[in-house]
Amino acid sequence: MRVRHHENVRRTHLPVVKSGGKVCGASFGRLLLALIILVIVSMAFTKPAAAQQGTFTVSAAPGGITFSGAGTTHSGQFGTMNALGIGTPSAGVTVIPLSNGALYFTHYQITVTGLPNPHLAAVTAFVNSNFTHTAALIMESCPSSSSCNAAGNFSAISLLSAAPTTVVAAPGINDQTVTAGLAIFVPDNNGASAFTGIDAARITLTATDTTNNKNFATAEIRLDTPVGETVQTAVRLTLATAAGGLTITPGADFSMNFGNVNGLGFGPGPGLSTVAAAGGVVYSTPYVLQPAFTDFTSTIATIRTFVSTNFAHPTILILRDAAAGAGPYNNIGTTAGTATQITNAAASRSSITRFLGLFVSNANGATSFRGSDSAILTFTMTVP
Amino acid sequence: MKRLFTIFALGMMALSTAAFASTTATNTNTVSPTLQISATIQSAVQLTLSTGTAAVTHCAVTPTGGTPDYTMSFGTVDALGINNGNCNKFAPTTPGTTNAIYWSDYNLNPVFTSQTVSTNTITAQVTTDFAAPNNIFIVRDSANSNTVPANAAAFTAVSTGTPDTIVTNAASGVAQTRFIGVAVTPANGAGVTGAKSATVTFTLTVQ
Repeated sequence: MRVRHHENVRRTHLPVVKSGGKVCGASFGRLLLALIILVIVSMAFTKPAAAQQGTFTVSAAPGGITFSGAGTTHSGQFGTMNALGIGTPSAGVTVIPLSNGALYFTHYQITVTGLPNPHLAAVTAFVNSNFTHTAALIMESCPSSSSCNAAGNFSAISLLSAAPTTVVAAPGINDQTVTAGLAIFVPDNNGASAFTGIDAARITLTATDTTNNKNFATAEIRLDTPVGETVQTAVRLTLATAAGGLTITPGADFSMNFGNVNGLGFGPGPGLSTVAAAGGVVYSTPYVLQPAFTDFTSTIATIRTFVSTNFAHPTILILRDAAAGAGPYNNIGTTAGTATQITNAAASRSSITRFLGLFVSNANGATSFRGSDSAILTFTMTVP
Repeated sequence: MKRLFTIFALGMMALSTAAFASTTATNTNTVSPTLQISATIQSAVQLTLSTGTAAVTHCAVTPTGGTPDYTMSFGTVDALGINNGNCNKFAPTTPGTTNAIYWSDYNLNPVFTSQTVSTNTITAQVTTDFAAPNNIFIVRDSANSNTVPANAAAFTAVSTGTPDTIVTNAASGVAQTRFIGVAVTPANGAGVTGAKSATVTFTLTVQ
């Protein structure tokens, strides 16, 4: 896990070996003199030992992913991911769902010790071996100066060794351990570039003595162990309250209460309007469907709905669907096989406003009903 | 063997479908959230009035959007039936002795829903009578039917006490034609002229 380089020492010792060749065969006195001169010359051209040393260590941070491996190589993985940030990420990984993907991040530690005072070390990073599917996985880094707990703290890691990304900014640190962030951004990625499966990447971290501007150590993080990064498809369909519509309450899964209704359409509650209908009246409300799906070759999805649990009084209360507030309102199917198609062209992360109608019969007599009743609509989104 | 098991386990993890709630899922192409819809049905009744269509002429029934709910004006009337008023009139049989009747048809539109029964009545009552000296009073067709009254004798004063039943067991949503008017007595004395108004309250009861 540690690396220690002494580039300057190595460079200054080479002339000694060459000079050694020249003194072979001399008298002892001349040999001694030459040896003394060589030592003096060597001392003169060699910087203090402490100035050429420095220890650069990369290690797991508390709560971060673990690394395996030895020396300069640190192997680990982010595990299974998806662009919607659904589910619990792997141990040590935190996910932040974003409007255009999901950011999976972890923390790791960088320690620099042993540099002579006042030398300090900065650390940079670049991707030396990028993911094969660059549209599906993007390596990002967060500098040690940040908390690295928000998406805005991270930015894409350079792919160029000549223009690396700053991890520990100059002037840098010495005899200090700092925490930085490493992330993989999984963007929304439907269509031709969609990808599911396993991929891996490697990042090189370079420590630079900012006093003499010399790189004195490198380390590599390999995100390929034991498997690498697994990208999965993800689907999500949520319902939400539309502007001016009845409140949709998240629960198991969602609920909507039309409140008091009657067959004449008197006094529709907030968010409701009434539409005339034969045999009664339709209480109508707009609502919002929010489809999202990622890593599918298809860019559109189909959304259908049906009454999976009907009202106890199915002739008195009937659920209807319409594309517009004024209608026409059509009965929603009461079986999966007769489900009402809302759209066959739903785009990911593109909200759809639809209108749900509750027909209330104006029937009187023995078949009439007064009181509370409920039904359940099941919406099914399928991405082909 | 241990390595093979590890590879198998990782493979199964990669292939498995994970559903985290009904709204989300991974490694699959479908998701099915649910929406529970609740409502409480209440019974409802509605009684509206509108301008009639049965008589020769019709005094307009005008909704006010406030109180009173509707207005109807018979215009300028007199006990001898000289003025035409705004719609129909029956001159007094014996001028100076019997009353002149100025009248109009109108429609009652009862609607009721979610009632356990369909039997119903509509009553009428003068809840605010014309001011004294009461030389004018509200009348209705005595027959309580949609037959156009033939003469002044076909009218009866609308009760100012117990409501008069003017419709029985009307079908919900079916308009009922009735006739209403004012009888002008030949009384003389102070306060018998000038603009006057009264209020009739119609009540629909389903039971």
